[in-house]
Amino acid sequence: MREELKGKNFEVFTVACDSKGAAAAESWIKQANPQHPSVIDEQHRVAELYGAKNVPSVFWIDEQGSIVRANDPVYAARRNRETGESTVNQDYLNAVRDWVSKGPTSIYVQDERRVQAHTSQMTAEDVQAMASFRLGVYLFQQGHVKDAVAHFKRAHQLKPNNWTYRRQAYNLGNIEQDYGTTFLQAREDPASQPFYPPLELPKPT
Amino acid sequence: MSTTSSRGGSVTATVLYQEKVSKLPRGWVEGDDLWLTLPDLAAASGWELKPEGVCRGETCVPVPDARLASFLHEESGERWFNVSEFARLIDQPFARDEAHYVWYFGPPSWEWQSRVGSRQAPDFTLPDLAGKPHSLSELRGKKVLLACWASW
Repeated sequence: MREELKGKNFEVFTVACDSKGAAAAESWIKQANPQHPSVIDEQHRVAELYGAKNVPSVFWIDEQGSIVRANDPVYAARRNRETGESTVNQDYLNAVRDWVSKGPTSIYVQDERRVQAHTSQMTAEDVQAMASFRLGVYLFQQGHVKDAVAHFKRAHQLKPNNWTYRRQAYNLGNIEQDYGTTFLQAREDPASQPFYPPLELPKPT
Repeated sequence: MSTTSSRGGSVTATVLYQEKVSKLPRGWVEGDDLWLTLPDLAAASGWELKPEGVCRGETCVPVPDARLASFLHEESGERWFNVSEFARLIDQPFARDEAHYVWYFGPPSWEWQSRVGSRQAPDFTLPDLAGKPHSLSELRGKKVLLACWASW
């Protein structure tokens, strides 16, 4: 996608939400060998700033720095880690192409209200969950893995549908031993919906 | 490391003030609350006590006289400041770990509430694998596809 569109004043910026930092993300990034900015976000700062509650989460930002489409739970293309094969989401790739060529008149551009609905603003509970999550990440990084779990649980309790906090914590510990659940059970818990926001892709005419 | 009792006690506190980590050997803990000397407060958080209030850079937070006693305590000629009580005043989220005496303080209310009603893409700067920093704003003037992913 980037190769095709890079001549059209278009760039990709990828952010790895990984509290294990480069150690977790390195093999993926090296395999993809990106030519665009590809950063690592140990504290999930970008997810918090943009209101993303899970990954993938994709945002379109125009030339003036305005978000014109928010929180799409899809990759335009993704590579299978084992086989190295790429799978392309053709509908989504076509939507990106349409935006790159038509700009604000593309049918895929969302109005301000849609964008705001998808970049949910932070509430007191969000920021309290953030505090517990960050404290947990710090303790984990200092080697206090068991103590970190209590703070992750507090973050999950405050914001059960924040899946970046949940999946990260499950990944840093042992979901069954530390949290007494399985990923499938947690994912289906009514309190933790939605797992992904809906993808609203208008049909081309 | 600590000599805490029910009335509180002296600890080596680790303070995570948004991105900044400080180890402070003269923390005083009382329940959920952390008290620091004024020099430690300034070093860890950037907040300083001035005649107009508690200030950091251009920002000053006035402290009502009636509440001053819950923030400020003088002992043996030294003044101590209750960082946790101040966090409550400015709606700043905080969390603490009892076992390791670690406190995390998040953004004050005016930072996280100001995101309401704006379509402007928030800027950020983060390192790549080689440690080189990249900012979103460096791409201003281009269309950008910002994609969050994870290995988990």
